[in-house]
Amino acid sequence: MRHTQGVFFTGYVTIKVMGYHPELFFDLCARNNITVWNIKKLSDTECKGNIKLKDLSSVTSLRRNTIYKISFIEKNGLPFLTAKILFKRPLVIGLLLSILFVFFLSNIVWDVKVKGVHPELEKRIITELNKYGIQPGALKLKIGSPGEIQQQLLNDIPELLWVGVTEKGTTYHLEGVEKTVVEEKEEHGPRNLVASKEGVIVDMFVSKGQPLVNVNDFVEKGDILVSGVLGKEKNDKENDKEEDEESDENMVEAEAEIIAKTWYETEVNIPIKANYEVLTGENKKKYYLRFGDFLLPIWGFLNPEYENTEVESTQKTLNFLKWELPISFVKQKIQEKELVNETRTTKEARTEAIKQATKDLQKDLGHEAEISFENVLHERIDNGKVKLSLYFTVLEDITKPQPLSQGD
Amino acid sequence: MKKWQQRIGSWLSDHLELPSDVVLELPRITMIGQLHAYIENHRGLLLFSDNELRLNMGNGYLKITGSNFVLKMMLPEEILLEGTIKEIIFIDN
Repeated sequence: MRHTQGVFFTGYVTIKVMGYHPELFFDLCARNNITVWNIKKLSDTECKGNIKLKDLSSVTSLRRNTIYKISFIEKNGLPFLTAKILFKRPLVIGLLLSILFVFFLSNIVWDVKVKGVHPELEKRIITELNKYGIQPGALKLKIGSPGEIQQQLLNDIPELLWVGVTEKGTTYHLEGVEKTVVEEKEEHGPRNLVASKEGVIVDMFVSKGQPLVNVNDFVEKGDILVSGVLGKEKNDKENDKEEDEESDENMVEAEAEIIAKTWYETEVNIPIKANYEVLTGENKKKYYLRFGDFLLPIWGFLNPEYENTEVESTQKTLNFLKWELPISFVKQKIQEKELVNETRTTKEARTEAIKQATKDLQKDLGHEAEISFENVLHERIDNGKVKLSLYFTVLEDITKPQPLSQGD
Repeated sequence: MKKWQQRIGSWLSDHLELPSDVVLELPRITMIGQLHAYIENHRGLLLFSDNELRLNMGNGYLKITGSNFVLKMMLPEEILLEGTIKEIIFIDN
């Protein structure tokens, strides 16, 4: 039976042989190594049987030497079938179009669902999403990854504490958690303000409480700057009983801003040789369709003539109905990069160190602190690095609240 | 000469237990009930119709009668017959 196996794929023809003793023609075929099957006698002079498509030419050449007549009754198998289908062009075009249509529909956003937030915020989220281009009917290729959307939303809507974006087929599910804005309690109760570090007071703005220091005073860490107890001397003269009752009135929550000059010593290491990369801003975009490991360029064929490049690529998978296709859309951004090798002189290293140290300090102390560089305490070159000990003076607020205990 | 050859052949198949269809070049017929007949080692088709098949053999011919005959497959020395088989007759020349 293996002789007629897979015959559907290669194609076969049913022929009718006419003549005297037609079965003998099939015998002739068989003896010439042509497989024939399903031979059936239709009448005394007619006989039909199947032959393979590839044997067709040898059968017709065999027939030439005989008196038989052959007619083809049926053409079967895949080659004929495809030819037949391809012949019906409108059908093929329609089929292709419908597949394309379904493919297109599978790659657009159908629905955006927002959950977990109250209607007002929900509306805001939806308008924000619309701004990013995420709305029913938008192409999914143009939309960033869920992570990017998440980040963008969090930046643009400060009321959101967290938002989860999941992409489920053609639907985007968003789940938000609102920030519950709790009004900070301003009432701390009576308190003193003490110095958080040592320094010389430069400026004081006391809005509540009794200042115990003056401008140009040197204070140690922990010294009381502004007292929350008002009229202490007066209080002392009064009776003990009255003190208990009146203490609440006399004690206030001290509030002040005391700017003092403080000192910092920092150590910085700066390498003399520095290598870093700078993007020049020149860039080129390329688009690819990706089939497995193969990238088919669809736009941007030429390679830019950059010496050093930084390639940033984003990938989008395409869907067909609920399945992810092994095809994806790849966008590459090729950016020109410049390598900068710099050898600093000691002087340059020093300015760089001061800049860096100032930046670090500012980060530690907050943006309100005023930092001014005083001088270099110590400088040493070691293993291609400049080690510097720097001395800074800083003008900053040194107040630290210290609650007054009311127990006694 | 041919008779002598045949005699040796039958002696071989008898005493050395060689398959007789190979040694004597006789047709081997495999049947499945009345439905199929698979004939190997024939010497050509003589006649085929809806209810009769004649195959040439070395000496004489093989006649198979029945109804609804279809040759399911035909190879140089093999034939698969399908239909309702009634009789198989060996006819010597």
